Amino acid sequence: MPLAFLLFGIVFGWVLSRSGAADYDFIQGMFLFTELQLYGIIGVAVAVALPGVMWIKRRGRGLTGAPVSVKPKPRHRGNIVGGALFGVGWSLTGMCPGPILVNIGEGKLYALAALAGVLVGASLFGVLYPRLQKLLGLPDMGIGTGDG
Amino acid sequence: MLILHDLTPYHWALAGAGIGLLTLFLLFVLRKRLGISTGFENVCSLVVRAPYFRRPAIAASHGWRLPLLLGLVLGGALSAVLGGGWAPFWDLGLFDTVFGGGPAVKVAWMFVGGLFIGFGTRLAGGCTSGHGIFGMANLEPSGIAATLSFMAAGVITTNVVYRLVGGI
Repeated sequence: MPLAFLLFGIVFGWVLSRSGAADYDFIQGMFLFTELQLYGIIGVAVAVALPGVMWIKRRGRGLTGAPVSVKPKPRHRGNIVGGALFGVGWSLTGMCPGPILVNIGEGKLYALAALAGVLVGASLFGVLYPRLQKLLGLPDMGIGTGDG
Repeated sequence: MLILHDLTPYHWALAGAGIGLLTLFLLFVLRKRLGISTGFENVCSLVVRAPYFRRPAIAASHGWRLPLLLGLVLGGALSAVLGGGWAPFWDLGLFDTVFGGGPAVKVAWMFVGGLFIGFGTRLAGGCTSGHGIFGMANLEPSGIAATLSFMAAGVITTNVVYRLVGGI
């Protein structure tokens, strides 16, 4: 089973690498509105996934008949506040989480520094969770802010 | 052109369809919702003792999230190998053109950016994949809110960095 996810990651990583999604200049071009490639990619990805997700949810089962459940991520103030912080980081590095790993694989050495920052930032978030939970009205610790 | 070997990227419609179909494959065949940034919590939980990382969803997902993250690294490596050969490099496109700076500058810049990504995605409960693609495809209010927020912040930040400061 882990092998299936490893292979999935390789294919997904390949597509991110060859589409511009893991390219600093394409990300800056998206935010500067001088290069619309990434808007097209995200728009088409959502448009293709949407009817399929709806169908799989209605069916309630995967290919082998085993149950599939799709729970919406919890809504809380962190969606907006955390989203904004992530947007700043995406712009500065030119990478979102998947492409950080893809860029490391490609040989871009600065991506290792981005990953180090991500792990420190995520650790800090985990450690501060009890305090942030009160401040921002986040879900119970057992639920978390949203997995994915 | 990509920074990687000046390769020509796939057409956006082809790449978007590929990502959409991969999202559906993951849900329908492997029965998981697409999402990368939670995997960073799986990694953190291996070394950081915070109770937040001991919630059941984390320990239960090591078996699939960790291999997926490793796969992304290998996918990038394979792309470089077959696209002209693998070699470590520091090229950073527009950043080099406008600001320049050696490895030390880039390491500091990327580390700070990474802090925002790590803290921000986990506070938001997802990133481009979990909120932007899956959350939007599932019409989730949290996904739509987070996506609007990170797109707006990205537009503002890049415009401040390159148009205001960089003067392009």
